[in-house]
Amino acid sequence: MEIDVRKKKADHRLLDGERKTAYLCLIPSCIGLIFLTYVPLITVLILSFFNWKGVGTLQWVGLTNYVRLFTKDPYFIDAIKVTVYFSVLAVFGSILYSFAIALLLNQKIPARGFFRAIFYLPYVLPAMAVYLGWSWLYESNWGLFNYILSFLGIGKVKFIGSPTWVVPSLALIAVWLSGNLIVIFLAGLQNVPRVYHEAAEMDGASGWQRFRYITIPCMTPIIFYNLLMSLITNMQVVTPALALTQGGPGNSSRFISYVMYTYAFKDAKLSYACAISFIFFLIIAVFTIILFVTSGRWVFYQGGND
Amino acid sequence: MAKKTAFQSRMKHEKTLNTLALIAVILASLLVMLPIWWIFRSSLMTNAQLFAWPPSFFPKDWLFSNYTKALKYFPFLQYLKNTMTIIIPSVLGGTITATMGGYAFARLRFRGKKFLFSLCVGSMLLPNMVTLIPLYIMWTKGFHLANTYWPLILPYFCGGGAFNIFLIRQFISTIPRELDEAATIDGAGYFRILTNIIVPSIKPAIIVVALLLFIQIWNDLLQQIIYINTGDKFTIAIGLSQFKGSLKQEWAYIMCATCMSFAPGIIFYLIGQKYFVEGIVLTGMKN
Repeated sequence: MEIDVRKKKADHRLLDGERKTAYLCLIPSCIGLIFLTYVPLITVLILSFFNWKGVGTLQWVGLTNYVRLFTKDPYFIDAIKVTVYFSVLAVFGSILYSFAIALLLNQKIPARGFFRAIFYLPYVLPAMAVYLGWSWLYESNWGLFNYILSFLGIGKVKFIGSPTWVVPSLALIAVWLSGNLIVIFLAGLQNVPRVYHEAAEMDGASGWQRFRYITIPCMTPIIFYNLLMSLITNMQVVTPALALTQGGPGNSSRFISYVMYTYAFKDAKLSYACAISFIFFLIIAVFTIILFVTSGRWVFYQGGND
Repeated sequence: MAKKTAFQSRMKHEKTLNTLALIAVILASLLVMLPIWWIFRSSLMTNAQLFAWPPSFFPKDWLFSNYTKALKYFPFLQYLKNTMTIIIPSVLGGTITATMGGYAFARLRFRGKKFLFSLCVGSMLLPNMVTLIPLYIMWTKGFHLANTYWPLILPYFCGGGAFNIFLIRQFISTIPRELDEAATIDGAGYFRILTNIIVPSIKPAIIVVALLLFIQIWNDLLQQIIYINTGDKFTIAIGLSQFKGSLKQEWAYIMCATCMSFAPGIIFYLIGQKYFVEGIVLTGMKN
């Protein structure tokens, strides 16, 4: 009896130490989660119902900011379209590109590590420098891309100076930068159980059939993860507009984040920009929810894992 | 006999496939490297060579003197020092606090764990852009830290981002628990287990987190622009964005500045590459 009680006490003390360590370890993360994530999210919503320019008192305006955004704002609706257009191009481009490269790297080729490093390299370059460098490649008279086009017999294209081509051009840079997806895809491919392939081969499945019915289904969780992360990253695109285009030509690269930035930090319309932030949050949430809901239909989780 | 030839033909088939894959990989990697080469080659040319048609693939005289000239307009070392003043403490703070958080989630039992963890994962889906304005108000009007590096550094001491906590947690859960248990029997406390057993065995994950944080801060032009206003405090990213405006057509100098800014990232990546790939591979599998 007594031993039991003592053991329980010891257990309790052990658990206490464990609990104390856990809370100590989580103090920084909790501060971050509360004060840098969830409280600001609520603040955005609250501020968006007011009229405030950073100084003076808050003035309650209800839904006026939102109404103005959707009815009178010269940039906002177009910004949503441009951002979605860019994200679709960049996300699908990056996924296709990085999946294709990962499939190639998954073959029996020499110096795989070296090639993987090459494809990853653009990802470690500072974005600002990348856009600056590419703006020279896209230069409308002497740039590399116009040189390449001249081989194909195509006349000069203005790329980032043209309303039609600016978004696809920026999306191409995003694709080039997506080396991190390759590494994740490749890790996933190497994790596809070899037995499946061997069994299918025994049954006489062709290479394409094995790819379609084994590789793809096994990869769907990773495709899903990459889609989600790539979507969230690309929807927030702002650096190319800040660094290169200033939203132009016209409004053709005026992304939501850039509109929010100019209202908040150029015009000091902080609460109005908060309304944009909140709508932006809702847009991304809707896309995320759509992705999660449809994922039930196409993402296959192998049973027994974890 | 027939069986053997079938086998041989399949081997041959596989071999041609592998050769084709190798050729495709080489072509693709050349394409991926082409922009970087073109930027580098442009940094070594005179304007006359830059604006020649057709453009040449190699610079004629390799004008490394362009770099010394570019440095006159673009105080790279000053910017690098400023950027490092932000990056070094941020990366340290981020990796340490993410490791602590990841350890608690992976190994320790405590009340509210599930709730906290779902808050943490949930915040991964919350775009940083959304919280930008309230944070700006908090740092500049609440703490009066405008035009200092604090608003850029301090957030990294608060967990280093949900994704990194998650990554460390996943990595720790691949390490056999027997190691901790043995240490517990030897009388080590939970904190000792973290510092003496967990940290050494998750070195690759820690390096991945450090590199990801490095890239994230390196790229974060927006936050740097809104908090930093004076030239003496400019980071490389802000410096580059100002530089283009001041030197409209001096493409060679702009490309010099671009190449200089590429260098630190590449160096850091090459140093950590061995661990880095190992880390991504191990953590990627668990996603």
